[in-house]
Amino acid sequence: MSARRTPKQNRLLAALPGPELLRLLPHLERVLLPLGAVIYESGGAQAHAYFPASGIISLLYVMKDGAAAEIAVVGNEGMVGIAVFMGGGTTPSRAVVQSAGSAWRLEPALLKAEFARGGALQRQLLRYTQALITQMTQTAVCNRHHLLEQQLCRWLLLSLDRLPSNELVMTQQLIANMLGVRREGVTEAAGRLQADGLIDYSRGRISVLNRAGLEKRACECYAVVRNESDRLLQSQIALVA
Amino acid sequence: MAAILNSLLAALPRKSYLRLLPGLAPVELVFGEILYEPDQPIEHVYFPTQSLVSLLTLVEGHLALEVGLVGWEGMVGFPLALGVDTSPVRALVQGGGPALRMGAARFRAELRRSPPLQRELHRYVATMMAQISQTAGCNRFHVVEPRLARWLLMTRDRVRSGEFRMTHEFLSHMLGVRRVGVTEAASALQQRKLIEYTRGAIKILDHRGLEKAACPCYESVKDMHRAASL
Repeated sequence: MSARRTPKQNRLLAALPGPELLRLLPHLERVLLPLGAVIYESGGAQAHAYFPASGIISLLYVMKDGAAAEIAVVGNEGMVGIAVFMGGGTTPSRAVVQSAGSAWRLEPALLKAEFARGGALQRQLLRYTQALITQMTQTAVCNRHHLLEQQLCRWLLLSLDRLPSNELVMTQQLIANMLGVRREGVTEAAGRLQADGLIDYSRGRISVLNRAGLEKRACECYAVVRNESDRLLQSQIALVA
Repeated sequence: MAAILNSLLAALPRKSYLRLLPGLAPVELVFGEILYEPDQPIEHVYFPTQSLVSLLTLVEGHLALEVGLVGWEGMVGFPLALGVDTSPVRALVQGGGPALRMGAARFRAELRRSPPLQRELHRYVATMMAQISQTAGCNRFHVVEPRLARWLLMTRDRVRSGEFRMTHEFLSHMLGVRRVGVTEAASALQQRKLIEYTRGAIKILDHRGLEKAACPCYESVKDMHRAASL
């Protein structure tokens, strides 16, 4: 297996002790995540669990009237399919590929069985759940309290952390859908960031030119989410070491 | 044996519940009491029986928004059930009353040896996640009045009473809006004879009417709880 195509591209899987990963290995199937693909739909049947190797999956909360807003983003630090092991009903949410990539996927029954063993995978998935809860919490407060420009900076930074380059393929309409705001608002905010030399925006591509500057313009929500993920993931790795 | 007044505990098999019982101390939660602070170690878990606890986010040290409500259906301190000993939010007693409390160390030990307790808590965390994501979506799309109606209904479900005490200031933190916004929304609901609100005392007069006035998020979260308890 080449270094580029191993389940260890996903940090949750990479942190598993050898024997646990070996047990899962035959069942992990590599799949491509094309831009815009819906990998989980609210009210749908129990889907596979996805451990992204690259790319970004956006979790959207879907209102009864169909309006949707992003509540979290998942990259190779996490997984999609928490409902598989947490139980309970279906979450009113949708998981959409926001940036193309690939993932390792696992049958729900297999994930459930591995989770029930109570080993390292269970510990990691639970800690990841808490990191995701922090992200959702921060998104909720950010939606309420911060300016669209700050939210856009937070969103760009969270996305960049999950991508290998400083470039994002993304239309303003899509960003507006993610943030649950009107496109005009995104255009204005992006225009200001561009005028200040922080980003370059052309034909559906956003390049971040000055990351430190972007961090200064973001609200505290970005740092809260990143620090909490780092902390929870680092102690995960410490547990294994 | 007396009825179990917390539905999370009541859902446990009898044997698991009886194991847990000696470690659960009855306590009286007082309005305004802080059970834990963001990023500080969670020292106890609480199973409210007739009390209500609000999970609040802080922005730059100030109360900013409620992201979850815990009453007789849940447990305060769920990060411990995920193997994490701190929380990013403040847990604040919103409705004083009795609860059952257990120390963090004992809770961890009990959790390790009780798969039924693990399962119940995992399901409960899933419903909390739905509540948090719904709050994020609701805040984005809905105006104050339907959100206030939703909040009053969620509170009623958790204290199992249509009457409770609540100041405007508190409500403004809960909903993340200015106090004047709360005042306007509350008077609108009062004019429609859905609630009565005098000197911090709220009484729900017409809960069906209030359900109609609430945003659909109320139903969404209720559906989620219903599905989780199956």
